[in-house]
Amino acid sequence: MAPLKAEEYPKPYRPYGADIKETRPYSPCRAACPAHTDVQAYVGLIAQGRYNEAFEVITSVNPIASVCSMICHHPCEQACRRCAIDEPLAVRHLKRFAIEKSADYRRNKRRLVEKTKGKSVGIIGSGPSGLTAANDLANFGYNVTIYERHPVLGGMLASAIPPYRLPREVLKEDIDDVTAKGIEVRTNCEIGKDVKLKDLVGKHEAVLIAIGLSQSRSLNIPGAEGPGVMLAIPFLEDVAFDRKPKLGDKVLVIGGGNVAMDVARTARRLGVEDVSMVCLESAEEMPAWKWEVDEAIEEGIRINHRWGPKAVRREGDKVLGLEVVKVKSVFDQSGRFNPSFDNDVTTVLDADTIIITIGQMSDLSFLKDSSVKLDERGRVVWDPATQMSSARGVFVSGEVVTGPGSAIAAVANGHRAAIAVHLFCQGEGIEGRLPDQEKEKISQMPADVAGKIEREPRLAIKHIAPEVRCDSMVHFEIGYDEEEALKEAGRCRACGGGAVVDQKKCMACLTCMRVCPYGAPVVASVSEIRPEYCQACGLCSPECPAQAISMVSYDVREIRNTMHQIIGAIDQKRQEPVIAAFVCTHHVGVFGFDLPKNVRAVPVHCTSRIDILDMLKAFESGADGVAVVRCDNTICKYRGIEHRVSARVGRVKELLGMLKIGSDRVELLPVKSGNGGNPYASVCEDFSGRIKQIGLRQSK
Amino acid sequence: MIIGSQKPIEEIWDMVKDFKKVLVFGCNTCVAVCHAGGEKEAETIASLIRMRAAQEGKAMEVNHMGVMRHCEPEYFDPVLDEVRKYDLVLSTACGVGVNFLSERIGNVPVYPGINTSFYGAVEAPGRFVELCAGCGNCILHLTGGICPVARCSKTLMNGPCGGTNKGKCEVSQEIDCAWYLIVERMKKLGTLDRLSEVLPARNWSTSRDGGPRRVSLEHIREYEEREEKKVEQAGGKKQ
Ligand SMILES: Cc1cc2nc3c(=O)[nH]c(=O)nc-3n(C[C@H](O)[C@H](O)[C@H](O)COP(=O)(O)OP(=O)(O)OC[C@H]3O[C@@H](n4cnc5c(N)ncnc54)[C@H](O)[C@@H]3O)c2cc1C
Ligand code: SF4
Ligand code: SF4
Ligand code: SF4
Repeated sequence: MAPLKAEEYPKPYRPYGADIKETRPYSPCRAACPAHTDVQAYVGLIAQGRYNEAFEVITSVNPIASVCSMICHHPCEQACRRCAIDEPLAVRHLKRFAIEKSADYRRNKRRLVEKTKGKSVGIIGSGPSGLTAANDLANFGYNVTIYERHPVLGGMLASAIPPYRLPREVLKEDIDDVTAKGIEVRTNCEIGKDVKLKDLVGKHEAVLIAIGLSQSRSLNIPGAEGPGVMLAIPFLEDVAFDRKPKLGDKVLVIGGGNVAMDVARTARRLGVEDVSMVCLESAEEMPAWKWEVDEAIEEGIRINHRWGPKAVRREGDKVLGLEVVKVKSVFDQSGRFNPSFDNDVTTVLDADTIIITIGQMSDLSFLKDSSVKLDERGRVVWDPATQMSSARGVFVSGEVVTGPGSAIAAVANGHRAAIAVHLFCQGEGIEGRLPDQEKEKISQMPADVAGKIEREPRLAIKHIAPEVRCDSMVHFEIGYDEEEALKEAGRCRACGGGAVVDQKKCMACLTCMRVCPYGAPVVASVSEIRPEYCQACGLCSPECPAQAISMVSYDVREIRNTMHQIIGAIDQKRQEPVIAAFVCTHHVGVFGFDLPKNVRAVPVHCTSRIDILDMLKAFESGADGVAVVRCDNTICKYRGIEHRVSARVGRVKELLGMLKIGSDRVELLPVKSGNGGNPYASVCEDFSGRIKQIGLRQSK
Repeated sequence: MIIGSQKPIEEIWDMVKDFKKVLVFGCNTCVAVCHAGGEKEAETIASLIRMRAAQEGKAMEVNHMGVMRHCEPEYFDPVLDEVRKYDLVLSTACGVGVNFLSERIGNVPVYPGINTSFYGAVEAPGRFVELCAGCGNCILHLTGGICPVARCSKTLMNGPCGGTNKGKCEVSQEIDCAWYLIVERMKKLGTLDRLSEVLPARNWSTSRDGGPRRVSLEHIREYEEREEKKVEQAGGKKQ
């Protein structure tokens, strides 16, 4: 296949309304994501069954989307405005669903990118940060070479994160997307050992150091050196590269962070029944995510809180246990990590194997005597405004400079570095041109609005039972099926996807203020719709007599303008009526998209968005009948919708009567799901039967 | 503001059926507020005409557009070239807008897409009431703020008449008797005694009876005319 021209590939996917969104406060989920993934957009696309487009939205900013769909610590969820109502959206799990659904689509679109820049960039390290920069620079048209000391690409994702959380074939999908663009990959190549930094600087126009924090810190206590005591990263690397580490029968992990959880849970899966942990912090103070801790406890791992390691007890090569001392406090008055101990209280924790997991650091030995300066504490000197080190043309990104964080934060920093490298290679200034991390966001949901929204608990994520999952490294989390995913996606309040007023058109008629069930519009000289109140129901937009209101996401104009295509050519000899069915995607589950053949489904966020004009447009395009299929009142996601929607249908009936087309050709059909069968299909089928009785429309 | 109401589609069809290229032109102020002729209604009417044309098998191009007001040239001037490309403009502005645009558009006919009903208020969403007749000589201070010209079916200056019936007008049970309202209101205000004074016969020449009316503000016109002259002398075009 001929490579696509760099200018035309990849077209960053822009969902409808993306440009308006840039000018307005972000939804908090998006603002919280370091890469600013437009969560609202892709969750909404999932709800409409548009999985490939959801994939595009996600991967437009995140080249390790598959990985993140499994292991991201999802700051988006912690920020979700739905927390004010009940529980956050299961954003990460929905991402997993969308990505799994679009697997074929994604594989088919892998393409070589033409190298138009005539310049080359060397990237050291293939973790999230290096990989992201490689991806972006390849898209810009540079020749990119990745140097990686491990035999495979992926950084910590490949060499440390255990496969029971991140199956390697998942990681491979992301890496294949990137390498397909035509990137030179040099694995088993350690800079400083196999190749000198100096040589890279001579060979490439720019070099990016993205080497992460690939060494474990050790503890300076008696007995720590010697057999039976290991460090976390070498242990995890052994597991990752199938080198079978030797463990005893009683493993004790020192540390209370997420990596410690991975180490302990991995040890369980290597056949050790007795795994325990010891950390300075109480259960509340532990840095590990609560869900990680809960899952570890389910797996029979014990945690000794508030003990500090003092000495490894050993008899020659044999470890007997760890002597620990009671912790008085972990943080000082000003909240800084500064543990204090009660030296009178000590104990010994039994163990024959100890794994130290107290943090990571970089191995910067290859930078000694190079032009890249280190500070007095041995860290790389860099300028966050340019991502450049002290050596011109040598850039840095990811955890080597930002310190420990998350994969997606390393991605975000990789994007920044790629822009910096690109500007540098084009001879342009960098300062002031790299994107800001902080974004203005929509504030939390006002209590009066939250009170008007139905409670609808999050769909639980299922796991393989602890008794079974500890027997192997098999991925322990079970994905949503389609019905579950559509349901969960429907819980999103579409923050930032709601109504916006074109203030040039608004003539302050007050209609929107009167119509809105949530008190979002305030009309002074013109209307202003407050995004923190707007629930994106869309009720106001069709009511505005000046057509001043559009919806940021799923504006029905997107549909109205393509109605001819949706309906398609009308066969004059057809036997069955052509029905246009506006279907609310909420609660439709898998059913909604599986309608009789003569029914053209038009999925809408809520039927409240449908205008008289949309129904007319369907008739104009030749439909014999128009059905507005909405959720029954008991399950409708919004309030106060039914009367307005039925008033609009009533008006269309009146207009069709005037035109002598027949007022019975349009109907509002409420549906209750959950009674077995496909209620959406059956109401459409019944309606279609009634239209057949009335007769098919003839055109002159 | 001005209240309008839509014309039946058959009446519209009769007006437009012989044209090839029709623009339904909405006005986004008064008649939009009363959901008669704003951009949205313009689009609806355009759609109805297209469907009607399809029923007749007629090839017709029907589009819609809207501007803030049809009664001030600055609002439609920027789109006038575009508007002139049509064979017919069906304006959904009030009659003022239809007249005004018609004078300025050139050789394209401008037809009314709605009926202009009255000056009114928005009593409740979707309900509009006539409260003033624009008689040119206001007397609301004498009648408790309730207008007998607009709201008394017979425009009586010294009512009520014998047809008043439990607060309703003999013309229709739907109509409140304005003089009943006036009396009740003035009772409340403690000014009922003023009604013992008979209002003299009115001079209707300030109303429609004096022919078409015009208000000209000398202090503004004087300056404006000077400016217009200057532009004209410099070879510019007078608006
Ligand atoms: C056990 C563990 C579990 C984690 N779990 C999660 C999680 O669940 N969710 C999450 O978001 N984040 C998690 N993280 C953090 C995440 O992995 C990091 O944030 C991310 O990998 C940092 O990316 P990076 O590109 O900066 O560096 P790395 O991923 O560390 O990549 C650096 C790469 O550079 C290579 N390298 C180093 N020196 C040289 C050299 N001299 N020459 C050539 N190559 C070199 C290394 O081999 C490595 O491949 C976890 C980390 C660990 C260790
Ligand atoms: S409700 Fe949806 S859009 Fe709003 S914060 Fe949560 S995930 Fe984002
Ligand atoms: S309905 Fe439209 S015109 Fe009326 S106040 Fe709202 S935005 Fe403005
Ligand atoms: S009516 Fe719905 S879409 Fe419009 S402002 Fe209110 S909540 Fe937002």
